[in-house]
Amino acid sequence: MADLVSHPDETRVVSQRFGKGAADINRHLELDGYKAVQKALQMQPDDIINEVKTSNLRGRGGAGFSTGMKWAFVPKQSDKPKYILVNGDESEPGTCKDRLILEHDPHSVIEGVVIAGLAVGAKVGYVYIRGEYRYLVDIMRKAIADAYAKGFLGKNIFGSGKDFDVHWHTGAGAYEVGEESALMESLEGKRGIPRIRPPFPAIVGLWGGPTVINNVETLASVPHIILMGGQKFADYGPPKNGGTRLFCLSGHINKPGVYELPLGYPLKKMIYEVGGGIPNGRKLKAVVPGGSSTFVLTAEEADQMNMDFDSFSKRGEFLGSGGVVVLDDQTCMVKFALRVMKFYQHESCGWCIPCREGTDWLKKTLTRFHAGGGLKKDIDNIKYLAQNMLGRTFCPLGDAAAIPTMSIVDKWRSEFEAHLEGRPCPFEPEGSRTISELPVIA
Amino acid sequence: MAEPKSITITVDGKSLSAPAGTLLIEACKAVGIEVPSFCYYPGLSLQAACRMCLVRIEKMPKLQTACTVQITDGMVVTSDSDEVRQARKSMIELLLGNHPLDCPVCDAGGECELQDMTFKYGAAESRYMEGKLHKEEQQWSPVVYFDRPRCILCYRCVRACGEGMDVWALGVQNRGSSSVIAPNQGDHLECEECGMCIDICPVGALTSGAYRYKTRPWEMKHVGTICTHCGDGCKTTLGMRRSDTGMDIVRGDNRDKSGINGDFLCIKGRYAFDYFDHKDRLRHPLIRRNGQLTQATWEEALEHVGKRLKEIRDTQGGQAIGVIGSNRTTNEENYLLQKFARTVLGTNNIDHHRTTDFAGFARAITGKQNATATMRDVATASSILLIGNDPTEQHPLLAWNIRSNVRLNRAKLFIVNSRPIKLRRQAAAFLQVPEGRESKFVAFLNGDDTAAGSLTSPAVSNDSLKQVRDQLRGAQDPIIIFGSELRGADIAALVKFGSGVRAMFICLGDYANSRGAADMGLYPDLFPGYVAADGPHNFNEEWGKVPQVKGMDIAGMMQAAKDRKLAALYVVGSNPVTDYSFDPAALQNAFVVVQELFLTETALLAEVVFPAASAYEKAGTFTNTCGDIQLLKKAGEISSVRSDFEIIVRVADRMGADTKKLVPFGKGVHADMGQSRGAQSGEADRHAVWLTANNLDPRLSPFDPMAILDEIQRLVPGYEFSRLNLIAGNDEHVTAAEHSNAGAGNGLVQIVPANDSLFTSGTLGRYSHTLNSVIENRRSTESKEVMAD
Amino acid sequence: MLHFSKQTIYTEHMSIIRDIAGIAKGMSVTFREMFAPTVVENYPDGPGPMKGAVFQERFRGLHVLQRDENGLEKCVACFLCAAACPSNCIYIEAAENTEENRISGAERYAEVYNIDYNRCIFCGYCVEACPTDAITHGHGFELATFNASNLVYRKEQLLAPIKPMRTEAPVESTSQLKEPAQDHP
Repeated sequence: MADLVSHPDETRVVSQRFGKGAADINRHLELDGYKAVQKALQMQPDDIINEVKTSNLRGRGGAGFSTGMKWAFVPKQSDKPKYILVNGDESEPGTCKDRLILEHDPHSVIEGVVIAGLAVGAKVGYVYIRGEYRYLVDIMRKAIADAYAKGFLGKNIFGSGKDFDVHWHTGAGAYEVGEESALMESLEGKRGIPRIRPPFPAIVGLWGGPTVINNVETLASVPHIILMGGQKFADYGPPKNGGTRLFCLSGHINKPGVYELPLGYPLKKMIYEVGGGIPNGRKLKAVVPGGSSTFVLTAEEADQMNMDFDSFSKRGEFLGSGGVVVLDDQTCMVKFALRVMKFYQHESCGWCIPCREGTDWLKKTLTRFHAGGGLKKDIDNIKYLAQNMLGRTFCPLGDAAAIPTMSIVDKWRSEFEAHLEGRPCPFEPEGSRTISELPVIA
Repeated sequence: MAEPKSITITVDGKSLSAPAGTLLIEACKAVGIEVPSFCYYPGLSLQAACRMCLVRIEKMPKLQTACTVQITDGMVVTSDSDEVRQARKSMIELLLGNHPLDCPVCDAGGECELQDMTFKYGAAESRYMEGKLHKEEQQWSPVVYFDRPRCILCYRCVRACGEGMDVWALGVQNRGSSSVIAPNQGDHLECEECGMCIDICPVGALTSGAYRYKTRPWEMKHVGTICTHCGDGCKTTLGMRRSDTGMDIVRGDNRDKSGINGDFLCIKGRYAFDYFDHKDRLRHPLIRRNGQLTQATWEEALEHVGKRLKEIRDTQGGQAIGVIGSNRTTNEENYLLQKFARTVLGTNNIDHHRTTDFAGFARAITGKQNATATMRDVATASSILLIGNDPTEQHPLLAWNIRSNVRLNRAKLFIVNSRPIKLRRQAAAFLQVPEGRESKFVAFLNGDDTAAGSLTSPAVSNDSLKQVRDQLRGAQDPIIIFGSELRGADIAALVKFGSGVRAMFICLGDYANSRGAADMGLYPDLFPGYVAADGPHNFNEEWGKVPQVKGMDIAGMMQAAKDRKLAALYVVGSNPVTDYSFDPAALQNAFVVVQELFLTETALLAEVVFPAASAYEKAGTFTNTCGDIQLLKKAGEISSVRSDFEIIVRVADRMGADTKKLVPFGKGVHADMGQSRGAQSGEADRHAVWLTANNLDPRLSPFDPMAILDEIQRLVPGYEFSRLNLIAGNDEHVTAAEHSNAGAGNGLVQIVPANDSLFTSGTLGRYSHTLNSVIENRRSTESKEVMAD
Repeated sequence: MLHFSKQTIYTEHMSIIRDIAGIAKGMSVTFREMFAPTVVENYPDGPGPMKGAVFQERFRGLHVLQRDENGLEKCVACFLCAAACPSNCIYIEAAENTEENRISGAERYAEVYNIDYNRCIFCGYCVEACPTDAITHGHGFELATFNASNLVYRKEQLLAPIKPMRTEAPVESTSQLKEPAQDHP
């Protein structure tokens, strides 16, 4: 169980029940639990969707697509059953918000699923939980069982005459399954490999039926939107960036943790005030704004950024999943690039060539490079490889690996040059790594 | 079905039209714009994994894969620009990172798609400096080897095996750069051993056990001929290499995919040519001397046979001689053999191993138009009824076509069988009926509801039977396929039902040319084209006097031999002693001549054995079980053997027959003795007139099968196909059965199905090293379980 | 009266001088060569296996099939030499190496490798085509024969001899093997 943190600037919407024992259904009910569903049951499906549209709620998984739009894409009539999927395969490095929601407030997710189901006309929902979050499965399983016991799920929910079933499912530990179509493949019992799109899940999704797939945080926000009204939620953030967001501060920071802040919150303030600054009086070197797949920001850039979707997309970058990783001036950016690439190399599903071969090649080159075996042409080669992966892979994983690598090479080229000619890493003490550990150079 | 509307797109400034829904890559290919790809393969599911087919489509932010994008009206595509070329080059670079550069050793070197693309898109200089992943080569089965580092993970093999073959023996293990194609049994394959995965592999990752490291692609001569095993008539391209004894076949594959089989070949087509140089292959004529078969010269053997047969014919008459033809000799040889029997030996005692009732089928469909389906039709029909047989085992191409049709066109398949055959997995309805009750189902189809009683079981209810019948009655031009379970009157009843729904039929017989043997009149009661021997016909005019009475069938001949009424038996490419389980002692007093590849049980009883050429070593035509005729091309060469055709002509010559009458060759041949009135002058050679009319020249050699083909085309109705198309290597459909004049059935029918599996093939299969080396063969002989089920 | 211009006298006299100079120049070569060491090889009476014949390194003579440092054949029977050969004089039959019978370094080796010197034109394309540097031109040239069939050279005739291995101290007893090598630090 993670320790909870807090800061006065926080606006607690999704996290309002954190630390209050809301995993227990009775406690949850005391905290206004399941009221939103009952309200939604009185509403027309289109009204629910409009309410969500009004809230400007955008997908919290990282892509930032409008949730209301996503729901509206689902056809009203369908020969096949419709499904609601909760993407709880939170694997983006630096991101740990869904974990807290599932741990502290699982019922809000169930509530969100049911509301989404009411909005699009689905009768079945699946909560897909990351394989490594094994302990959360127990919490979710109990929450679902309790909800069934109370008659909140199953046949005739809340006596409304409507049926809704929620199942939990767990992955086997693959980052790739966080991609929505790969998640559906995994849920169907196949290899977690993304599907060809179009058709999009809203038309042909799980078992061929129209499917809404949303992030845990997105769905956990929905009950609050229904209760408080979409406009109020929207007003928390800047225009078109409705509401609050759980930001996960980690890295070289004094008070790491998950903070719920309104969208558009300045990054500088987030690091120095909310996060309490950088330990040991060191200086900021770089910030990963939203999980490892995003463009890495320099200290100067970080000073000017506001944390909302549009501020980033204006620069051709993106906000990501809310995992803010802070790096101080003693960090070796080559090592950081290597660490990130190791992750993507390990998690690449192997389906398409650029991602499978590109991440492997980059990992090998960066490993050699960081160990002092780098050549001048390797720097351009690393960038060349990343550029040729970008936008050419089957799913966004290749992009996710290419983007941080490209931005690190571009912004910290001098650090790469400092590793050349057999020199050891300038940030690591002598002898921490010897030439004998170098990978074989063919 | 309405034709999808045609829409226009622009590719590289060229405007082109294609039906809506066409994939961009196919639309480009149709107009000759090549979009490269590894993972895309027509007919298999889409992968978009290799990213080679990336193209720029206007209004799309990223490059798009042409293999997954369906064309839309007004789409503007750039398939060849610096950006696109760079994208392709980088894919090749990435692939070559871990790909070993052992092209000089690799079997695929020279016909490798990765090699070709590297040449085309560059990436000649490697940026890669890291250690390559290496894994030892694995042997998955006697025919499949896997060299993992060469694999580019295009998943073609996985899909071909799963979707195409419905075997699902290959899959992917691990992920990322550790991803690896793996066989179903962990370290080895248990499958149908078809070798599709090898042929479809764009690189040299999957290699063939039979061909491995033997030669290089450009060293071989390639001959497209027909597989000599089952009755489906797949085209197989043989790779030939010169050797001490002539031309060796080093591999069989499916290079040009131009035959009726398209992408498909089974284990037999791909590997089971290997009987041709088996050490037991007969390479000299044998004559029995002092009770022992001893090596003789051709001269001695021919002289001996000619003399003895002439003696017997002249002293005891033709009816004392019997002839048994083959299911695997060419149409020309079959025709020649029966002509030899009827004109030179003077007997109608001619028969062959009947594996299905083609004669009964011909009687049933006489005079009907378009009553027989081609093998290609099976791949496109909207619904198919299969009664009896197990095509997966006995007619693999048919099974492939059925599967593809169900998968790609959502055809409806109805199966009636006494066993749970594997194709039931594709069936819309599978009715398992008690053994031998298939004919009851036919009666039920024809409206006899009482027949349902003997068909029902816990699995098959009265309702399900009726449902199937209703669907069949409403079917659009269905194809009805039946095996040897239905004979004689049952076929007639089935045809009666089928005529009501404009059905087309396929009668399934075993072996490469059993349909040809039937069409060519290897029957004691039927002349070529199923003409009743005792009915009206013009063969007397054409050939001279032929016997008017029906001859004896195989069983009759054996009985006559036992009763010492049959003095000589002439057997060509057949093993009646084993096929019909006859007592070998019956033949001890007869003069037995056998033309064979191997010393079979029948050959062991012979007085003279001629070593015959296999179908790979001669030319001619084969008619498959559907009636598709194709050209058999001479590929291999074994010195010292001769084709059955040549042997028959030479024996006839030694008997003093006029070979010009037997084989119409040379200028001015009077094949019909010129009794008819010619076109202009008083006496004309009808054959010469026909040749002239068809722009053909008289043949120059009595050993030229084409000379007999000329006569077949002239005399057998339904064999009027385009010769040009045939010679170009295409298939033509023949309809001798529909034009037959067989008269009433005579109860002579004795059908002995071959019951071969995927891994057996009569006599030839016994001598195929590959067929005998795969573990599935041993298992299939131990228990007749349905494979990979 | 004959009148010779200066120019004419000069021209006539000069021609004599030029002739003398030409002869002297020519003879100088003769005299110089007379005292220079001989360049004519003492073939076939010279010493050594080449019998006195001396070749430039680039000379394209009888082919040699090379071996690698382990004594294995370099040829992997890729057939590229045969494909490159303009006179079609190379015949190869490939076979697969096995654990027990390892002939070349790769999976495949040439079971039969014939060069028909009736046809070979010594163009060197085969050497250029060889991806493993297995076939090279040696300096063998004495190919004349009374029987044309002798000119089909088999692999055994073309292969480089196995070089003697690096000399090592002979192992005298098995006990020595178990002791660690002491000379090496």
